[in-house]
Amino acid sequence: MSSPEVSPESTASGLELPAYGRPDDVGPTAASERPGSFPFTRGIHEGMYRNRPWTMRQLAGFGRATDTNARYRALLAAGATGVNGVFDYPSLRAFDSDHPLARSDVGRGGVAVDVRDDFDDLFAEIPLDKVSVSLVSSQPIGAVAHLAMFVQAAQRRGIPKAALSGTSQNDFLMETAITIAPQALPPVGSFQLECDLIEYAITELPRWNPVSISGYNYREAGADAVLESALTLTHAQAVTHELIRRGHAPEAFLSRISFFLNAHSDFFEEIAKFRAARRAWAKWVRDDLGVVHEPSQRFRFHVQTSGVSNTARHAHVNIARSMTQGLSAVLGGTQSLHINGFDEAVSIPSEHAAMTALRSQYVLLHETGVAKSADPLGGSYLVEHLTDVMEERVQDVVAQIDAMGGVVPATERGWVHAELSRLSFEAQKAIDDEEQLIVGVNTMNDGADVPVEIFRLPTDTLAKQSARLAEVRSRRDTQAAASAVEEVGQAAVAKVNVMPAVERAVEQDATLGELGAVLRTSLGLWDFPLW
Amino acid sequence: MVNGLRGHKAVIAKLGFDAHWRGVIIIANALRDAGMEVVYLGHASAEDIASAVVQEDAILLGLSTLSGNHLGECPSVMEQLRVVGADDVVVVLGGTVPAADVPELEADGVAAVFPTGSSVPDLLVLIEELVVEQDAARRKAGSL
Repeated sequence: MSSPEVSPESTASGLELPAYGRPDDVGPTAASERPGSFPFTRGIHEGMYRNRPWTMRQLAGFGRATDTNARYRALLAAGATGVNGVFDYPSLRAFDSDHPLARSDVGRGGVAVDVRDDFDDLFAEIPLDKVSVSLVSSQPIGAVAHLAMFVQAAQRRGIPKAALSGTSQNDFLMETAITIAPQALPPVGSFQLECDLIEYAITELPRWNPVSISGYNYREAGADAVLESALTLTHAQAVTHELIRRGHAPEAFLSRISFFLNAHSDFFEEIAKFRAARRAWAKWVRDDLGVVHEPSQRFRFHVQTSGVSNTARHAHVNIARSMTQGLSAVLGGTQSLHINGFDEAVSIPSEHAAMTALRSQYVLLHETGVAKSADPLGGSYLVEHLTDVMEERVQDVVAQIDAMGGVVPATERGWVHAELSRLSFEAQKAIDDEEQLIVGVNTMNDGADVPVEIFRLPTDTLAKQSARLAEVRSRRDTQAAASAVEEVGQAAVAKVNVMPAVERAVEQDATLGELGAVLRTSLGLWDFPLW
Repeated sequence: MVNGLRGHKAVIAKLGFDAHWRGVIIIANALRDAGMEVVYLGHASAEDIASAVVQEDAILLGLSTLSGNHLGECPSVMEQLRVVGADDVVVVLGGTVPAADVPELEADGVAAVFPTGSSVPDLLVLIEELVVEQDAARRKAGSL
């Protein structure tokens, strides 16, 4: 893979750019491609946003479940069309809030959850049979428990499993390559849990997307657009092979695999990336797997604008950055979108920043006219050319990962970490050497800054979560909870799907931390090959 | 070009549960490229960080967090450094740290805070100054 070279003759990820696009730059198939038909380069539906606008799904999560529930409801009242809920780090990694290592991170960067009662509070008064809910349970170790708690919270309100629609992020790379934490699971163990959740959902939750393959986060951690796409595709391919190995027909689950991509700053490269990803996935499903079922070939994705591209200085300029990135996602045919708050580089979004971002989405939808025709850049010499080149470059990296045995072995041996580290170091160097200019960082840096208001989190989260944990631990049947938790560990060791055992443990009011601990004991721990 | 860091030792750690490693690894690489011996601990408790500083006889301790846990975790590390008598180590912190929080951190002994968007070359120059100054102070104390 070539490194990102910052030059007027290439994109951010090093794709060569012509001075202007010419008819000769467009591949032979482009003219015959249509939105809604294989290979879906131009979009997964013929009518696209004319028939159904993208889902406006602003990420939210902080403090306790009650605090976050208020933010969800404010966003829905202001026009959000889906919930996008993020958890704090201890909850993502399945540690209880009162764990000694967790205390300073409880309720930060996401909502704190420990027991199923927290899910009752988190979704109170939100019609779970109507609004789709994305659970940004990025790590499988937390995702399995979060989903069981979510399902039971819904059931306690009389909403059946079949009515629940939404997504679990559930991405083993998030647990083993993208984010670090104390006591991480090894890639094989994390991937096992990821596939357990997927397997459970395709049989029990017909409207649920049990995985959101998180190219977004691979990009934020340092990947360029090529590596982001290649990891996304190889990860989805690994999931597909494993589910087939477990006896499932591809047609039964492929249409439930969802994707999550970044909208970074290089406008045309990003649009080409979205188009190329759709085409590459459809071709793989049809030509490599031999699956002709069209819904299985559709690459459905959510987009978030790039957090790492945002600056702390002159933070209001982030509104312009994120808007341009959001525009690329819409022109690229996304199914759902989060636009970052302008305070992204400073703190989690204040309500003002979150609402401004949501309203920006409506500017795209109602004012710009860009949503009226599907794939408006289809046929552009430059965009078609970049789509072709992107697809080729991505396939080269996919072949490289395949040669290592796929994305799980590539992660185990540290290749993914090394590539992310190398590319992020080079990107930082380009900024430091002023080859890549960033407004407010290494250019247009003068003038007084107008600092943004910092969103201050509630201060009582740790105390209240600790009190709830103590209350639940004292009221439950200790013996029953302990043996239910033990069964989760036994299932993991025996490589039997853990989800039924997790459900039973959650019914006995097992805590997230207890479930995490037994999975760590059963599946083992792993040192990140970072240094 | 920064030369004054050559041969010195740094301990680097992540605080609490913060999950971002991109920045800390960039800085660890930059310090190594500048000639430092770098011991990267990953996530560690305040006690383990302080004891690593003593064991390694480090002159620089780099702490990283982007989750916003700095006001909870930094003071514990500074306290442990005092407990084990290693509070002469130069402590720098990088990550998502609002400017308003910097005075409190500095008052507790953090020598420099590098928020997101900091320039790596500029940050190396400042770290070099701090390390050279501290090295001189240690030598002077040692010769007394």
